[in-house]
Amino acid sequence: MLAKYLVRRLFASVIVVLGVTLITLILMDRTRGTYVPGIDLNPNLRPEDIARLRANLGLDRPFYDWYLTWIWNVLHGDFGRSMIDGSPVISHILDRLPNTLELTGTAIILGVLISVPLGVIGALRRGSKTDHAMTVVSVAGFAVPQFWLGLLLILVFSVTLEQHGLPWLPSSGAASAIGGGDILDRLAHLIMPATVLSFFYLSLWSRFTRSSMLEVLSQDYIRTARAKGMGERRVVYLHGLRNALIPLITLVGLELPGLVSGGLVVEVVFGWPGIGKLAFERALQYDYSTVMGITFFATLLVVAGNLLADVLYAILDPRIRYA
Amino acid sequence: MLGQTPATEIQLPSTAFEGESNRPAQSYWNESWERLRANRIGMAAGVLILILGAIALAAPLFSQFLTHYQYDRIDLLSTFQTPGHPHLLGTDDLGRDTLTRLIYGGRVTLGIAFLTVALSLTLGTTVGLVTGYYGGWIDDILMRFVDMVLSIPAIFLFILMSILFHPTPITLAMIIASVGWGGVARLVRGEVLSVKQREFMVATKSVGARDVRLIVRHLLPNVLPVLIVAASLGVGQIILIEAALDFLGLGIQPPTASWGNMLTNSESYFFHSVWLVIFPGVTIFVTVLASNLFGNAVRDAFDPRLKTH
Amino acid sequence: MAESLLEVRDLHTVFATKHGEVKAVDGVSFEINPGETLGIVGESGSGKSVTAMSVMRLQRPGKIVSGKVMFRGRDLTKVSETEMREIRGQEIAMIFQDPMTSLNPVFRTGWQVAEPVRLHHGWDKARAMSVAVSMLGKVGIPSPAARARDYPHQFSGGMRQRAMIAMGLTTTPKVLIADEPTTALDVTIQAQILDLLRHVNRDFGTATILITHNLGVVAGMCERVIVMYAGRVVESGPTVDVFAHPKHPYTWSLLRSIPRLDAERHEPLKPIDGLPPDLIELPPGCAFHPRCQFKVDRCTRDVPALKLVGETQLAACWVTQSGVEL
Repeated sequence: MLAKYLVRRLFASVIVVLGVTLITLILMDRTRGTYVPGIDLNPNLRPEDIARLRANLGLDRPFYDWYLTWIWNVLHGDFGRSMIDGSPVISHILDRLPNTLELTGTAIILGVLISVPLGVIGALRRGSKTDHAMTVVSVAGFAVPQFWLGLLLILVFSVTLEQHGLPWLPSSGAASAIGGGDILDRLAHLIMPATVLSFFYLSLWSRFTRSSMLEVLSQDYIRTARAKGMGERRVVYLHGLRNALIPLITLVGLELPGLVSGGLVVEVVFGWPGIGKLAFERALQYDYSTVMGITFFATLLVVAGNLLADVLYAILDPRIRYA
Repeated sequence: MLGQTPATEIQLPSTAFEGESNRPAQSYWNESWERLRANRIGMAAGVLILILGAIALAAPLFSQFLTHYQYDRIDLLSTFQTPGHPHLLGTDDLGRDTLTRLIYGGRVTLGIAFLTVALSLTLGTTVGLVTGYYGGWIDDILMRFVDMVLSIPAIFLFILMSILFHPTPITLAMIIASVGWGGVARLVRGEVLSVKQREFMVATKSVGARDVRLIVRHLLPNVLPVLIVAASLGVGQIILIEAALDFLGLGIQPPTASWGNMLTNSESYFFHSVWLVIFPGVTIFVTVLASNLFGNAVRDAFDPRLKTH
Repeated sequence: MAESLLEVRDLHTVFATKHGEVKAVDGVSFEINPGETLGIVGESGSGKSVTAMSVMRLQRPGKIVSGKVMFRGRDLTKVSETEMREIRGQEIAMIFQDPMTSLNPVFRTGWQVAEPVRLHHGWDKARAMSVAVSMLGKVGIPSPAARARDYPHQFSGGMRQRAMIAMGLTTTPKVLIADEPTTALDVTIQAQILDLLRHVNRDFGTATILITHNLGVVAGMCERVIVMYAGRVVESGPTVDVFAHPKHPYTWSLLRSIPRLDAERHEPLKPIDGLPPDLIELPPGCAFHPRCQFKVDRCTRDVPALKLVGETQLAACWVTQSGVEL
C-alpha cells in the first residue's frame, strides 16, 4: 500500500518536473536566436565558431529537438553553460550551494528557537501587555521589506558603529577576505543576514505557536492533567507543548523546499556568496542560460522536497495512503 | 433562493420563552460589514490605504501645487539635501525631490499591486471554479499545471522573466500575477469542493439549473468571502515583492520612480544622507502594514471561524 | 453520626462574563461518606459539573466566592495550591465525559495511567508501570501489558473509558468523581462501564460521586442522589425514596417526562414547559417557579431552603414543605 502511494507521488512529481522544463524552455525560446555561450568573453569569435557552438547545443534545430537535448543533458548533470564564459552552470551552483544552505538553515533554526518561547509566553500571558506588544511586533514584522531591514541593520551595526570607533559587524561576504575564515569571523558575517532572514519566519511562527498553544490548552486532556494533580509547569510544557508543536513542525517543514531560493534578496544585500546572489549577478549580465539552469535546479529541489515531505507523512499517518 | 428564508418568517414553537428578543435577521453581507465597521484599527487602516491611493492618483496635482517639482527633475547642485525647505523630504543623489518621487512612486507601486491582484483573482478564480465544479480530467490537468507553476521558486521565475521581457508596470504586474494565480486557484477550488457538497447545490441542480448558472449565481457568492480575504492580504505581499524586484534593479527602471528603486544602491548613500534610506522604506512599511491590518480585519469580519484569539 | 468524608457547605461559584455574573453554583450543600455512592442529577447548565470542578479547585475561570468544602478536616477552598495538588489525583480523583479528548493523544496510554502514582508516590517508571498494567487488567482491559503501549486513539470508546477509570484509581483515592462517564458511549457499553464503577466502589471502597443528566444511570448505581436546578440543590435523599415519591416539583416533572416500563401504553410523555432560567438574572424566589404547576404566591418571592420533607428526603420547596403531596 505504501509502495503504491509512493509510485503515484513519484509519477506525479516527474510530470511536474517535465512540465516545468517545458514552461521554462518555452520562455527561453525567445533567446535562442541570440544565445551564444562564451560570446561575452570573446567577442571575436568567428562566425564558424559561433555556428559550431550553437550546433553543439542544438540551438538551430526545431524546438522539440532542443528540448530533448536539454533534458538529456540535465539527466547527465549538465544544467547548461554560462553565456559569459561557457563554464558549466552546475559547478557554479555546487560551489555556492553550501553557503546558501548555511544561511537559510541558520535562519530557520533561529526562527524556531525564538518563535517557540515567544509563542508560549504569548499564550500563557494572553491579553497582557506583553502579549499585545508581541502581537504588534509580529504584525509589523510582516510589513517590513526584507531588503530594507537589511539595509537598516547595516546602517546601524556596520556603518554607524564603525564611525564611532566601536567594534562593528561586517556587512558583506561570508568571511573576511584577509585573515578571516575562522569560526568567529564566519559567525560575525552570518549574524546579520541570518537575523534578517529569520525575521519573517519569526513573525509568522510565533503567532502560530501562540494560537496553537492556546488551542491545545483549551483541550480536555489538559483538564485531565490538572485533575491528576500535577504542577502547572508540567501541564503546560509536557502535556501542552508536545501537542502544540506538531502543527508548527508541519509549518516549518513547508519552508524546507524553499531553502535554496528564499534568501536571494538577503544574499544580494549582504553580498553573501550563495546561489541567489549568483542568479542575480548573472541576470544583470543577461546570462540567460545560467539563470535558467539555477531556476531549474532550485525547482528540482522543491519538487524533491515536497515528495520527501509527502512520503514522510504517509509513513507517519496511515490514513493518508488510502485517500 | 433556496435556504434563504428570512428568520422572521419562521414560526417558533409556542413554548418559546417570553421576552426573547426579536432581532431582525441580517444577511451575511450586512453582518460582515457591521463586524468590519466595528473593528476600528482595521477601518483606520483601510481609510489610510484609500488616502494613499488618492494621493497617488493625484500625483501631478501634488507635484504642481505642493512640492513644485517634477519627479525626474535633476538638479546636480542640490544633491543629498536634508529635509526642510524647499525640498520637504530632501533630495536624492541626482537632486531629484524625494517627496515628489515618493508620491509618483506610490502610483507605480499601488497601481501594480492592484492590477496584479485583479489579474491573479480573475484567472485564479476562473480556474478554481471550473476545476472544483467539474472535477475529472479538467481538474487533473489544470491542477497539475498549477502544481508546476507553484513548484518553481517565485523569485527565480520573476528574475528570469524580467530579463526576458521588458519590465514595464503592466508587464511586471503580469509577471507577478503569473505565479499568484496558482495560489488563488487552489484556494477557490478548495472552497468550491466544500460548498459543492452542501444540500442547496444538489437541490438547485435537481431543479434543472444549468451549469453556468450554478457556478456563477450560487457557487461564486459563497466563494467570495475567501476571495475578499485573499485579495486584502495579498496586496501587502505583492507590494513587498514588487519593491524587492525594483530594488534589485530588475523591475521598474529609473527615472520612473518606485519605492523599491529609490532604495537601489542606497548603501552608497549612507554617508551622504540617511534620509534617502529611511523615507522610501518607511513608506513601504506603513502601506504594507495598513494593507495587512485591513486584510486581517476583513478576514475576521467575513470569516469569523478563522479567528485566532 | 460519623463525620462525612467530603462535605460541601453552601458553596457559591460565579463566572464573570460581559453580560453579567453567572451564578453557576448558588448555595450548594451535600455530603458523602466513605464508600458511598452519590448521584448528582440535573440538566445542562444546572451547575453539577461546576460543583465538581469547584471541589477539585479547577473551576477557573470561575471563582469560589463563599462556602466550604470540608475534606478530612480541611477546607479545600482555603488550602494552598501545593496542598491542593497533592489531593488532586491522589485522594480525590476525577474522570471526565469524553475519553477520546480527555486522554493526551501523543502519550502512550500506560504512561498516562501510571503518571499519577509516579507523581504522587514518587515511584520509578517500572514500578509505576506495573501498577498501571495491573489496574488496566482489573478494569477489564484484555492483554493489559500490550495495550498499555498503545495510544489512546487505538482504543475503542468503552476501553478508553475503562483506561480513564484505571487512571483515576491507581493511587487508591478516597473519592472518585465521575462527570458524565457514560454520556459519550454507546448504550451497551454504558451498562458495562456502570457495572465497572459499581465493582470499583465495592472492591476498593472508593466513595463515588456520579454526575449525570440521566436518571436511569442514577437509579442503577447510586445509593443517594441530589437533584440540582439552576445552581441549587432542590432535592436530596436515598435514590429509592426520591424516585418513588419525589418531594420537589422539578424532580417530579423529570420523572414524569421519561418513558417508563410501568406507564400506560397511550400515555403521552409530559415534557417540562419552558426553558431553564438565565443564570445571570435568576427569577426571584424559587428558581423553578416559572415552570412549576404547583406554585403558590410565596414561591415567587422567597427562596426556599432545603428542609426535611418526609422521613429521609430534603427538598427546597414551599409547597411540599407545607405538607402538600405531589
